Amino acid sequence: MLEAKELTKKYEDGVIALDHLNLKVESGEIFCMFGANGAGKTTAINLFLNFIPPTEGTVFIEGIDMIKEPLKAKDFVSFVSENVTLYGNFSAFQNINYFSKLAGKRNLTRDDYSNVMKRVGLQEEAFNMRTKNFSKGMRQKLGIAIAIIKDAPNIILDEPTSGLDPKSGQEFLVLLSELRDLGKSIFMSTHDIFRAKFVADRVGFMQKGKLVMLKSKEELAGEDLNQLYIEYMHEHANS
Amino acid sequence: MLRDIITKEIQDTIMSPKFVFTFLLCTILILISVYTGINTYQSEQKEYSAAVALNRKNLDSQASYQTLAGVGVKINREPQVLSTVVSGVQEAVGRQATVNIAFDPNLVDSKFSSNPIFAVFGALDLTFIVKIVLSLFAILFTYDAIVGEKERGTLKLALSNKVPRDRLILGKAIGGFVSLLIPLVIPMVLGLIILMLYPNISLSGEDWGRIGLIFLMFLLYLSVFFTLGLFVSSRTSRSSTSFLLLLFIWVTFVTIIPKAAVMAAGQIKPIPSVHEITAQKDAYLQEVQKEAIAEQTAYFKENPTPKDQAKVPQWREDVKLWLEEFQQRMTSKLDERNAAIEREYQTKVRGQQKMAVNLSRISPASALMFSTMSLAKTGISEYERFLNSIRTYKPIFTKWINEKMMRSLNLSGGQQPTPELDDMPHHEFTAETFGDSFSRVLPDLVLMVFLIILFFVGAFVSFSKYDVR
Repeated sequence: MLEAKELTKKYEDGVIALDHLNLKVESGEIFCMFGANGAGKTTAINLFLNFIPPTEGTVFIEGIDMIKEPLKAKDFVSFVSENVTLYGNFSAFQNINYFSKLAGKRNLTRDDYSNVMKRVGLQEEAFNMRTKNFSKGMRQKLGIAIAIIKDAPNIILDEPTSGLDPKSGQEFLVLLSELRDLGKSIFMSTHDIFRAKFVADRVGFMQKGKLVMLKSKEELAGEDLNQLYIEYMHEHANS
Repeated sequence: MLRDIITKEIQDTIMSPKFVFTFLLCTILILISVYTGINTYQSEQKEYSAAVALNRKNLDSQASYQTLAGVGVKINREPQVLSTVVSGVQEAVGRQATVNIAFDPNLVDSKFSSNPIFAVFGALDLTFIVKIVLSLFAILFTYDAIVGEKERGTLKLALSNKVPRDRLILGKAIGGFVSLLIPLVIPMVLGLIILMLYPNISLSGEDWGRIGLIFLMFLLYLSVFFTLGLFVSSRTSRSSTSFLLLLFIWVTFVTIIPKAAVMAAGQIKPIPSVHEITAQKDAYLQEVQKEAIAEQTAYFKENPTPKDQAKVPQWREDVKLWLEEFQQRMTSKLDERNAAIEREYQTKVRGQQKMAVNLSRISPASALMFSTMSLAKTGISEYERFLNSIRTYKPIFTKWINEKMMRSLNLSGGQQPTPELDDMPHHEFTAETFGDSFSRVLPDLVLMVFLIILFFVGAFVSFSKYDVR
């Protein structure tokens, strides 16, 4: 379970990047966060992972205060970044091996790595290739594999489908559903409304650091999420 | 976890093209430098032996003490075996000094003066390779150590795990430094093996101790640039900015500060030119010569040749004794005055040098140069010690030759006796002891350790607050 309480980030120049965010992502739930660039999605993720300190509020990961006990809390969360290029001189195996060890997974075998990489759709020929020769989509898949192998109960994804081709994007959604079925809490920031609406249990719209709309899957049934997003953004932009 | 980070850092660097390039270049350069160092040392050793033999032959062939007093003794500076790794100022300073009755001795005939092209480019010794090439590589290895990870997104990925920042930077520092050492250590070990196996090169236990300390100074110097790279990398948000900043600091440290320090010291503490000193000495020589002629004339006026032939032998003995005393007095006077002029000049030179050294020590490149030269016994201080030993020898030789000259004086005419050199005093020079050399390099060592701690603490603190976004 991932929870934000009154989470606020105000920068030194006075800009409020995140304004009192209150949000809880339950186990076995996929939460998709939408918003234009600069709306505060990435700031929220940076605060969830303690990359930056909050001005106010806190984050709980499995009930552990991320601000007070960051190292303990980080044991229970994995992260998929947008545009991660990884270590270009390393092969996929070497990259996943290194990050698994950082995640505390010391007893994994080459087969375990192979299975996860296959699961995210990475071709077997790529396992021993240097990742500097990977396409953006391949790197993204490897990034997802690194997050999965940590086997944390919470997964935070920042624009994970950017760079994925339609087939890989579809496979990724299936994978997310599987992870949800395993009881993981999944928080995903994305612009990809089209794909997200198929898997999201709840969606939230961010604007100027505020969570301006929150809808469940049931509330979204029968609605055109794309149209709703555009209208809502337009409405709030004028308010 | 620390071991994983270190291993990753080493593997990542070793697998990079920049490492392969660095390793190959350093191997080629270091092996060439040791090889050319050995060849230069051996040819200098041959030249030295030939010059010593020639001087001996020259001394033996002198017809009289008078000619020996004029020609003098030639003293040659023995090449140092550690010049094979640190050439220092050996090639820039003179190799031979003539000690005779007339002039103040000075070392002349440097390698640079015999072939100025060497002065243009300098020697490709190990210090040069570490000072220029490897320090530049230290920057290339570290400019993106932190900021590059941020740009690649791997920093966020790493820190999304249970990884303390202090351990991450420590692992990166250790792993990165080990990677940087490989291009130095492997070729250097190969170079030392060549040095050990090469015929006619013998290294004593003390020499090995000195090589060990030289290597320690290399490590410290590279650590300074390495930690500086980490520091700047953890203070910038773009790797291009980090690289440019480091390049600027490198140019300042390696080229600008040492030259500017010497220029500043020259302006703040000016010294008279060598010509002025020579003119002063010449003027005094003329004065003494005038005085000598006057005194000699007065003596012979007061003590003319006796008309009584029976008294002539006694008169001759008296004249010889007087001449010996007179000659000793005049040369002592001249030597004392010259020594005083020289002392004053040397004090000024040392003052200027000390200021230049202290000012330039802000730069670790200068600290490296001074310390390794001192350890290899190829530095300015060793040259000065050698020159001073010659100047100390000069009055000893003068006293001896004066005695010999006057006692062998044949006032009745006829052939002068050929010089006997068995009791001729010899020039002696003892190289600086290991302990003294170590004391000399201690300030440089402390300075480098201080810079390493400063930069590493700076990197550590900066990284603990680093914005990973």
